[in-house]
Amino acid sequence: MRWLLSFLFLGLLGVAQALSASGNRLLVVLEELDDKSKYSKYFGDLEGRGFQITYESPKSESVGLFTLGERAYEHLLILPSKSKGLGPNLTPKILLEFINKGGNILLTLSAITPTPTALVSLLLELDIHLPTERNALVVDHFNYDTLSASEKHDVVLLPRPDTIRPGVKNFFKGDGKGGEVIAFPRGVGQSLGNTSPLLTPVLRAPRTAYSYNPKDEAESLEDVFAAGPQLSLVTTMQARNSARFTVVGSAEMLEDGWFTGEVKRSVGMGGVGTDAKKVKTCNQAFAKEITGWAFQEIGVLKVGKIEHRLNEGVRSNITNPKIYRVKNDVEYSIELSEWSWDKWVPFTPVAEDVVQLEFSMLSPFHRLDLAASGTTTNSTVFTTSFKLPDQHGIFNFKVNYKRPFLTNVEEKNTVTVRHFAHDEYPRSWVISGAWPWIAGIAATITGWLGFVALWLWSKPVPLKLTTSGKKIQ
Amino acid sequence: MRFFSSSVFSSVLLVAAGVAEAASSWNFDEAIISVQSKGAGNGLKDKLSDHVPLAKPVTFGPTDALKIVLTATEGGKAKRPHQAFLLLRDQDTGLEATLPFSVKETGKGKVDFTQKDLPPQLLTSSQPLRATLLIASFGPSQAFSNHVFDLDVQTDPSAPLPPYEKPLRYGKLAEIHHIFKADAKSGPKIFSLFFALAVLATVPILFGAWAYLGANVDHLAKATKTAPIAHTLFFGAIATMEGIFFMYYTSWNLFQTLPVAGVVGLVAFLSGSKALSEVQSRRLAGER
Repeated sequence: MRWLLSFLFLGLLGVAQALSASGNRLLVVLEELDDKSKYSKYFGDLEGRGFQITYESPKSESVGLFTLGERAYEHLLILPSKSKGLGPNLTPKILLEFINKGGNILLTLSAITPTPTALVSLLLELDIHLPTERNALVVDHFNYDTLSASEKHDVVLLPRPDTIRPGVKNFFKGDGKGGEVIAFPRGVGQSLGNTSPLLTPVLRAPRTAYSYNPKDEAESLEDVFAAGPQLSLVTTMQARNSARFTVVGSAEMLEDGWFTGEVKRSVGMGGVGTDAKKVKTCNQAFAKEITGWAFQEIGVLKVGKIEHRLNEGVRSNITNPKIYRVKNDVEYSIELSEWSWDKWVPFTPVAEDVVQLEFSMLSPFHRLDLAASGTTTNSTVFTTSFKLPDQHGIFNFKVNYKRPFLTNVEEKNTVTVRHFAHDEYPRSWVISGAWPWIAGIAATITGWLGFVALWLWSKPVPLKLTTSGKKIQ
Repeated sequence: MRFFSSSVFSSVLLVAAGVAEAASSWNFDEAIISVQSKGAGNGLKDKLSDHVPLAKPVTFGPTDALKIVLTATEGGKAKRPHQAFLLLRDQDTGLEATLPFSVKETGKGKVDFTQKDLPPQLLTSSQPLRATLLIASFGPSQAFSNHVFDLDVQTDPSAPLPPYEKPLRYGKLAEIHHIFKADAKSGPKIFSLFFALAVLATVPILFGAWAYLGANVDHLAKATKTAPIAHTLFFGAIATMEGIFFMYYTSWNLFQTLPVAGVVGLVAFLSGSKALSEVQSRRLAGER
C-alpha cells in the first residue's frame, strides 16, 4: 500500500514539475484586471503549459512576492501600468531580492504608458538603459507595417533573430526556415551597457530603426538615443544564480490582436519587400519562446554524475579517489542534461562551443575541451583524459560552463595531488645517460672478483734475470 | 562592375516601385562631401550620387574633418525629413555607427565629424568603412537608402590608438596545457651505448694485462685441498655479497638486504680468517 502511495506521490510531483525546471507559480501584475482579456491567448498558452497564474493589481494590498521570507511565486510577469511606481510591495529592492532568491521576472514595457520610474531605476541597476524621454518610441521607416502604421511607422517588422555570435545557442529562431515576421508595435528600445556579460539582447532593432520622442516629431532628429542594432528590443539578463530577467520592449506584441494579425511590410533598404504580401505574424510562437526562456522552460542545465578515475593503461575501478600522484593519467567525465519544455534531454553544445574542464590550483593549470563520449536517454556524458601537472598540491576539477541563454554550471571537485614517493621515480637503467655508469659498476665488480681470486690462488712466477741484470718475469 | 549594374538595376526597381505605388519618395540633391585637413590646404571635394557610390574610397586621416552638405527632397521638393543618417559600417564585424545630419526647415542638412567622433572599434577596421545614407520620414513617401561612398580611415601610426579593451563575454576559452618543468632528457642513446661498451672493454683489457704479467690460479687445487670449506665459503660469500647488492639495486629494500648481508658478512668473516690463514701459511712456506 505504501509503495503505491509513494508511487502516486512521485507521479504527482512529476505533473507539478512538468513545465518549468523551477516551478509553476506565476504572478501577473497588471493595473486593470479587465485588461486580462487583451492577452487572453497569451495567458491561455501559459495555462496550457501548466502555469498556475495569479493576477494582481499593483495597487492591491495582498500582492506580495514573499510569504514568511520564502518566494511565493517562481515567476513574475509585469505588464505596463500607468502609475508612477508599482506600490510598496513591488519596489525595485523587493524585485532584486526576488531575483536573488532565484525568481524569474518578465518585464514588459510600452511606449503608450510611460515606464514607472521605479522600474527605470531597477533597469539602470542592471545596466539596461531606457530613453530619458518617457514617451520614447521605436520607429523604422524601412521596416514598418503598411497596414496598421502607414503614417506613423511605429509597428516595426523584424525577422526572427539571428544567433548573436558564434557559439551561442539560438532558442528564438523558430523552426529556422526563415520568412517569419515578428511585429513589434509601439515599443520602447533599450540600450545595454557593454561591460556586463550577463546581459544579452535577443531581438535587436534593424539597421534603419531608431528611438525618438514623439513630442519632437515635427523637428528633425539630431540627438539619437540609440539606433540600429544598438537598440535592443528584447533584452535578457541571467543573474549569477541563473535567475532570469527579461525585458520585452513592447507589451502590445503579446496582445491577441498581434498574435493572429496580418501585416504587410514596407519597402526596405535596397528595395527589398517591394512586392510584399500580407503575412501572419509569428508573435505567438516568438512569445512562447521568449516566455519559455524567461520562465526556465528551456535552456536549463542539470549536472548528473561526475566521475574521475586513474587511467594508466587500464581504467581503475575506483571512482573519485581523494588523492592522485603528479603526472598520473586521469580520466574525467561529467553528465549534463538540458530541460526542454517538459523533459530532460541530452545536452549538446552548439557548433563552435564546447564544455571545458579546468584543473586548477588558484589558477587553471590545464583547460581542456570535453568531448561527448556517450548519451543516455536524458543526458550526455562528456569525457576527457589527461596527465596531471608536475606539481603537487590541492587541485580542483572544475567545470565552469557559463554561456548566454543557458543556466550556469559551476562544478568543483577537490583532490590532492601528491609528489612522487622515493620508489616511484624512474629507475636508472631506464635513463640512457646512466648506462656508462652502470657499466662502470659491473666492470668494477668483475675486476674485484678477479682480484680476489688472484690474491687467493695466484702462484708466483719465478723471476728471470735479463742480461743487464734487471728483473723480468 | 557587377555591383554597379546591380545597384543601377535596384534603383530602377525602386523608381518602378515608386511609380507603381504612385507615392513620392525621398531623395537628395547636391550632396557635397569634403575632407578638410588641419593645416593643409584644400582636401578632397566631391559630389555624391544617389545611385552609385564614389569610385574611389575617401581617405580620412587622423586630423581630417569630413563634412557632407546636402538638400533632402521629397518628391523633388526640398523638405525636412525626420531621419537623415549617415551609417558607417565596419565590414569585418558588421558594427555600424550612426551619424545624424542636422537638417534645417528648408531641407538643407549637414554632418561633420572627425576620427574622434567615431567609435574606436571602427578605426581599426582592415577594410574601408561602408557609408550608407538614409533619408526617411513619416508618411507614405518611400524612404531613401543607398551606399554612397567608402571611407578609408587612416590612423596616425605615431599616435597610439584610443584604448579599447574587448569586454568580457561568456564563451569558450583557449586551452591550457601548463607544464612547470619538462622531464629531464638524456643525450643520444648511441653515445651512452658507446661509452658503456668502452667501460666494459676495460675488463678484458685488465684480465689480459694480468694474464700477460703472469697472473694465474695455479694454487686453487692446493688451496681447496688444504682448506676446502673455508675457500669455497669465502669466495662464495664475496660473490653472494655482490648478488645481494644487485638484488638491493633492482628490487629489495633495506630491511630485506641487511639481514641477508649480515649473515653473508659473518660467513665471509669466519671463513675469510681461515682462508687467509691458509694463504699466509703458503706465504710462510715460501710458495708466494
